[in-house]
Amino acid sequence: MITVGCNHKWAMTNIRSGYLVIEGCFHCRNRISFFSEEPVPPVDDYQEGDHFWSHLADFQASQFDLKCEKCSKEVPLKEVMATMLCMKCNPECGVFAVSSQDRDRKTWVYVALCANTSHASGKCVTEEGIRALNEYFNCGLQDPLKKIVVVPCALRKSVDTCHGIVLADVGLTELY
Amino acid sequence: MKVSELVEKAGLKAFNEQSDKDIQGVYISDMVSDIIGMKEGNLLVTLQTHKNLIAAANLVDVAAIVFSRGKTPAEDVIALANKVGIALLGFDGDTWTLAKKLCALGVG
Repeated sequence: MITVGCNHKWAMTNIRSGYLVIEGCFHCRNRISFFSEEPVPPVDDYQEGDHFWSHLADFQASQFDLKCEKCSKEVPLKEVMATMLCMKCNPECGVFAVSSQDRDRKTWVYVALCANTSHASGKCVTEEGIRALNEYFNCGLQDPLKKIVVVPCALRKSVDTCHGIVLADVGLTELY
Repeated sequence: MKVSELVEKAGLKAFNEQSDKDIQGVYISDMVSDIIGMKEGNLLVTLQTHKNLIAAANLVDVAAIVFSRGKTPAEDVIALANKVGIALLGFDGDTWTLAKKLCALGVG
């Protein structure tokens, strides 16, 4: 497999349907999320070390990886729980700063949300994943002035006050 | 086919005015988690009228969105569509009737 110098042409692969499940610990107030491929998303409370995780919400969602159609390189995106459109709600937010950089173009900043919503562990979406997502979502844009910028959620100032629009099927599971 | 031509030929209602994009194909879905896999330039036909859908449609660069069964988007949804430059259209009949009409017009 030759990947050096490849001008990647990404396509979605390993598309998985399931639920984005969000849990919170009432002890430390951190939040986590994970992707469940179970037919019914788990809602049970459980203890994990010092944490007491409780179910907060779940939404139908999908996960995917990216694969280059030219060199077959695959970029796994298991850590991406969902994407979110930045609504520029807080000038002190790192995502707001990115969205304000390119005023001449129609730039839309999307945040790749990782599982570790509160970033207590310091981990987030990988640089390789962010790079591939940017290339994938920009490769077919018809308007030359339009630009999609995908950034990791570690840039976000606060999960509690963020007004971003999460690309998940909010409310669909409440029908059942 | 251009969006404006489709509006006229299929008898669609326009909820806003946006640039007249070329329609490359048609995608029918009511799930945000599904439409993020769409190809660019498609006409999205849906029943959903919430803001999440507009955010997803912008990410995949749709030509326009058609709400079937007479669904009407709220003002804040139209405002977001205007901001990202997506034309919102309406069709009074059901999705299957619209799909047949689009096929007959050679769209997609």
